[in-house]
Amino acid sequence: MSHDEKTPETPGPAALHGLLAEYDTPGAILAASQKIRDAGYSRWDTFTPFPVHGIDKAMGIKMTVLPWIVLGAGLSGLATAIALQWWTNTFDYKWLISGKPFFSIPANVPIMFELTVLFAGITALVAMLVLNNLPLPSHPLDFVRRFARSTDDRFFLLIEAADPKFDEDSTKALLEGTHPAAVEAVKEDNVTSNKLPKILIYGVVIMTVIATVPFALAAKARHAVSKSSRIHAVQDMDSQPKYKAQRANPVYKDGRATRLPDENTVAVGELKEDAHFFRGKMNGGWARTFPPQVRLEDATMKRGQERFGIYCTPCHGEGGEGNGMVAKRAEELQQGTWVPPTNLTQDYLRQMAVGELFNTISNGVRNMPAYGPQIATADRWAIVMYLRALQRGHASKTAGLPPATGGTN
Amino acid sequence: MATAKKSSKGKGGSDKKDEAPRSAESKPSSKARVDDAALQTLVPGFSDNVRLGGEGSALFVKAAGVAVISLGIAGAMGASVGDDFRRFSHSYLVAFAVGLAVSAGFLYWVTLQHLVNSHWSVVLRRIAEVFAANAPVLFVLSLPIVLPVLGGQGLIYDWADHAKVEADHLLHHKAPYLNPTFFAIRIVFYFGFWTLLSRYYLKGSLRLDETGGAEIIPSMRRVAGPAMILFALTLTFAAVDFLMSVDAHWFSTIFGVYFFASCVICVHAVLTLSLIWLQGKGRLAKSVTVEHYHDVGKMLFAFTVFWAYVGFSQFMLIWYANVPEETAWFKERFAHGWGDVSWALLFGHFVFPFFGLLSRHIKRNKKTLAFFAVWMLAMVYLDMYWLVMPNVNETPDFHLMDAFNVLGILSALVAGAAQRAKGINLLPTKDPRLARSLAFENI
Repeated sequence: MSHDEKTPETPGPAALHGLLAEYDTPGAILAASQKIRDAGYSRWDTFTPFPVHGIDKAMGIKMTVLPWIVLGAGLSGLATAIALQWWTNTFDYKWLISGKPFFSIPANVPIMFELTVLFAGITALVAMLVLNNLPLPSHPLDFVRRFARSTDDRFFLLIEAADPKFDEDSTKALLEGTHPAAVEAVKEDNVTSNKLPKILIYGVVIMTVIATVPFALAAKARHAVSKSSRIHAVQDMDSQPKYKAQRANPVYKDGRATRLPDENTVAVGELKEDAHFFRGKMNGGWARTFPPQVRLEDATMKRGQERFGIYCTPCHGEGGEGNGMVAKRAEELQQGTWVPPTNLTQDYLRQMAVGELFNTISNGVRNMPAYGPQIATADRWAIVMYLRALQRGHASKTAGLPPATGGTN
Repeated sequence: MATAKKSSKGKGGSDKKDEAPRSAESKPSSKARVDDAALQTLVPGFSDNVRLGGEGSALFVKAAGVAVISLGIAGAMGASVGDDFRRFSHSYLVAFAVGLAVSAGFLYWVTLQHLVNSHWSVVLRRIAEVFAANAPVLFVLSLPIVLPVLGGQGLIYDWADHAKVEADHLLHHKAPYLNPTFFAIRIVFYFGFWTLLSRYYLKGSLRLDETGGAEIIPSMRRVAGPAMILFALTLTFAAVDFLMSVDAHWFSTIFGVYFFASCVICVHAVLTLSLIWLQGKGRLAKSVTVEHYHDVGKMLFAFTVFWAYVGFSQFMLIWYANVPEETAWFKERFAHGWGDVSWALLFGHFVFPFFGLLSRHIKRNKKTLAFFAVWMLAMVYLDMYWLVMPNVNETPDFHLMDAFNVLGILSALVAGAAQRAKGINLLPTKDPRLARSLAFENI
């Protein structure tokens, strides 16, 4: 553009920028545009207060390349979304979600859709600005007084002096032949700069630098060790207005937050007098028989098998051999503090009293936590019963079984 | 690219020149007050042939004949299958659903143009009005579905069969809504409302032709708001009643919107084909320009995307949650060959037309736009087939009666539209917005 060459430092007699014609109606500027187009001019433009239908055709403006750019951007967005999800879901962060394949297209479609739209939308805006030579900080027409009405009720046509066909006299004659309301010569702008304001550039640079700070902090945190606890932006869960167990409570005289039951009272269902059933004790030692409340029948065995499957197999394994999934995983990770779960089919456990087994389940042993609070008393006995069956099955010989079950006759 | 655009524009221009003189050939109808062949002055300095006249009568006779014969043949074929019309009923429901999408879609479109005070579409509105006025025709066509239900026959719908309802807890639970009497009452209400609304807009528009009084336009716009809400409700419930209740165990809250997408696709496809037929007969040759085709094409494109969006929303939630009572419906549609139909829908109903209709050159060319209009109608048919048919056929099997059914129903709609259009102007000649519609340009 011709105004690129102007020198704002040395104001002097300004060169001719172009000729500006003013029209009263959209129809007039359409007709004028067709004439200028047919006369073969190339560096000219029209300025109207609103979009005039048909002006592109009248000016001979070619179809824009923008749709192809947007299409390309949309397809890149699609490809980016597929690549991103394929890489994260199958390599970087494998996570099994409700048994679905790691890379499953239906779950990825929303991201594919969003990135397609995002890339296409942003590209449409940026490419439109670039194709229109925007932003344009100054233009010689800014100094033409009548041009202010181009945002109100007048239609303007400007032919630049830089056009190869431009000749001040003949171009003026051509413009006057299009029935304009006025024709005016426009001088070059020697006053203002067509460069972006420095403050804007600095502002953008500073904002960009600031915008990288969170990423820099995140990157630093990934490679640094810190002894201070994490920053919790939302403290709701950290400070709850309540007294926790084992804390002091000034409301009561004894200062305990956890209250004891009143003296000589027992809560409903908390009276556990039956030592056999509730603690597995009998005559001062471990009970060697099941308490009468436990019915030795199929239903109890089924219940025991089910509870065992839920609570015991993760560590002790399906067969009780101490090879559950948790144990296997811990071995794989070679955790130094890991104590392998006990093989429940060992001889000393086969001979252990049922009362003691019950007690172990209820109160835990070594690394094994207490399951008393989680499993109902009758269910714990059912587990003991199932465990006995497991132990017996493990110790049995194949000899004497019918061939169909793998025995030898 | 620039040269491609110029050549397509050149074609558009030459088309218009070819069509203009042909209008003199058509014969005047005895009933019509105005000479059919007369070029009507629309706005100062602009005139066009806007009367269908004899061509309309001829089209009515042809289309009505095709409709009666096709449905007759389809019925005979249905009887020959020997399953008490079970297969035929499903085939008929598929065709009926396409007809419903066309008819209800046009009513939506007319209401929408009034609601938003649209200017560009004024030249197209009359065609939409006569198609929308087919609601009573469609009601008659719904009788082969509704009457067996009233008779307690579960040809399509298990919930219509008393014995099946008693044996099925879920059907029993849903019986307060899904029962023959209430179903019939609802159908009468839907078609009653659609008939009244379409009559209102057609009559108002015709009165505008006579008096030119613009004061009726704001009142039509005021009606459009509440009418649109009621339309949305009736269409949703109609889709649930006719189509979703085919498998009464299954449910999807987005189903009404899914069917609505098909309605809007049908509108713009049928509108395109009607305009091309009319312009081929020299009617509206100058009024409707490539700019109007372009906009209709844009809407066709937009709603193929909308269909995919809604269809996928329905699928993904069910797929992700993986709840048996919902997935059963999709499981049927991904087994025994129906999976191929599902994939065909994905590519034929979305991927292909999406890229096909993306370019403006295709939307501004009558031939390519007509191809996609026909293609999309076929895809809507396939969609309806996919919704209904797994209920009766474990594997997709095409029977010739399917083709006769859809030909019959669509011909009946064309006949109804032609009958209405033959004696009236093909565009609202005195609508004050007409001048802007005639001069409409996209850029």
